[in-house]
Amino acid sequence: MINKMKEAAHCLQNTSVKEWKRDGGKVVGYSCTFIPEEIIHAAGLLPFRLRGIGTTSMSIGDSYYGAVNCSVPKCILQLAGQGSYKFLDGAIITNGCDSMRRLEETWRKASEDYPGTLPDYYEYFPVPHKSVDYSIEFYEEELNSMIESLQNHFNVKISKSSLKKSIKLYNEGRKCLQRFDELRSRQDVPITGEDAKAVLIAAHAIPQEHFIDMLKEIIEKMEKAPSVSNGKKRILLMGSASDDIDFIHVIEEAGAIVVADTVCYGSRTYSTLIDEKSDPVHALSSHYLTQSICPRMLGYYKTRLAYVMDVIRKTKVDGVILQNVRFCDLHGSENGIFERDLDAAGIPCMRLEREYGPLSETGRISMRINAFMERIS
Amino acid sequence: MIAAGCDVGSLTTKAVILNNTRLLGHALIGSSFNPEKSAAEVMEKALAAAHLTMDDIGFCVGTGYGRERIGFVKKTISEISCHAKGAHFLQPSMRTIIDIGGQDCKAIRLDEKGEIVKFMTNDKCASGTGRFLEVMAKLLGLELEELGRISGQTTQPINLAATCTVWAQAEVIMHLNDGMSKADLAAGINEAMAARIAILARSVGIEKDVCMTGGVAKNTGVIQAMEKQLGIPMRRLRVDPQMMGALGAAVFARERMGGR
Repeated sequence: MINKMKEAAHCLQNTSVKEWKRDGGKVVGYSCTFIPEEIIHAAGLLPFRLRGIGTTSMSIGDSYYGAVNCSVPKCILQLAGQGSYKFLDGAIITNGCDSMRRLEETWRKASEDYPGTLPDYYEYFPVPHKSVDYSIEFYEEELNSMIESLQNHFNVKISKSSLKKSIKLYNEGRKCLQRFDELRSRQDVPITGEDAKAVLIAAHAIPQEHFIDMLKEIIEKMEKAPSVSNGKKRILLMGSASDDIDFIHVIEEAGAIVVADTVCYGSRTYSTLIDEKSDPVHALSSHYLTQSICPRMLGYYKTRLAYVMDVIRKTKVDGVILQNVRFCDLHGSENGIFERDLDAAGIPCMRLEREYGPLSETGRISMRINAFMERIS
Repeated sequence: MIAAGCDVGSLTTKAVILNNTRLLGHALIGSSFNPEKSAAEVMEKALAAAHLTMDDIGFCVGTGYGRERIGFVKKTISEISCHAKGAHFLQPSMRTIIDIGGQDCKAIRLDEKGEIVKFMTNDKCASGTGRFLEVMAKLLGLELEELGRISGQTTQPINLAATCTVWAQAEVIMHLNDGMSKADLAAGINEAMAARIAILARSVGIEKDVCMTGGVAKNTGVIQAMEKQLGIPMRRLRVDPQMMGALGAAVFARERMGGR
């Protein structure tokens, strides 16, 4: 089972996506955790989180972006421009951050030069930066517009009952992931951080029903699995988008084991469940806009710190790695504040700025991780 | 109880032989494309200087970018820990260590026991590394060692606006073409270097005593510029600062053998 998860983590068009397409299914890519997968699922479409994995050149990405932009959207654009995302029938881009927000324009522009690389359904979705009543209302209106446009473009009906069914299914996935997190962070760790990361990536890359079945099997095995953590330092990984299992491999090669994370493409999306009783669109709106720990949301640092301290307490980590992709202004600045507060709380932590994409910096990254491991030994 | 440390860096490879607290021998060579060969060669030289053979070494620790490729070491330790260990071994009052190597620079803060409290490395680019100075010295037609001495003769150091090594190079060429003196250029280069490193040093929080290690610490111009920028004196070490990683590795090796 874990190999299927790893396959999904290593490549874009995994076997499940290919089978979905072969059976006539359609796939809609989305750029950020603020897009409710439940809506895409309720439309009978496969939600697929956009990634920049496997990029070997930046010839296209660099042409439409500035030199000081985060390389995550650049890598996504590179893959889009070279045709790797041609399996998508749709894509929804958000203003998750400013660089990601620009992807909406750069992809559109690049498709003029690389014809046929823009999905037929291509939409921008604005997400508010505040979690207050009026922004939840705005977000709900936007979700209703998204529902309408998906219905019109794909000629499908997204009913309240189908939305409720999807919410129930994704809540089941969340409960499984919560159990998965409990297991991966227990004293005798039954899974490497590298394998755990593959599971978390697969959650947004294969049909949810299929994912839940596989995850249940993995959980069953984890309940009885021997420890893989002997003598290793328990690490919490924090910071910006991280969907590269090779990066986790580099960390773990230095004698660490990643037992928890708060990163995008990681454990960010399932710590709470969506209300299944109230109006589904309102439930989605209030959940997605109020339960995120992404620093794009203004004014909630203390809530995020409390969440992180709770994770640290529960998972009993030896240290925290605060990583961010170079030029990530959101996480780059917030990591500095986290460092200050974790230092004050006596929790060993290190900041690590890195490039996203091909791991060209392995030597320098492992030198720093090694030094951190030596420090907390 | 003879311990050894070997530091395979990006530009140079170093080895230190230590008997308890006494430095028996050390050596430095340019790193070749083959880290294993560089390590063997430098160790042979250090052993010759100490009048010893490999059989006399009880424990050897490897460090530096090529550490995993050294055949004869029993353990590898990161250069961050090794530079801290070496400097603290020489001067236990040391709290902040600024190491400038060939391809990176690091600021390390220690507690009173010599344990690392915090460290930062340059993430952005090669600016503020030994490679930056190497490129600039070549441009001025100087040996690397001369940059510091010549910069002392400056009357008005130039101000390098560019951070990027390549753009800064273009800027220096422009000034050379304008007939600017090498002393003013060398001083400007050293100050630019110090400015980059001071940012890193401030980010770990500077505490006295402070020293510089790595090859660039031999450049008196950079040291003086750092003192000016940070407003505190840099403690000089009694051992070649470029040997600090290898020395720290040797101290770790000595500890492994039961020495304190």
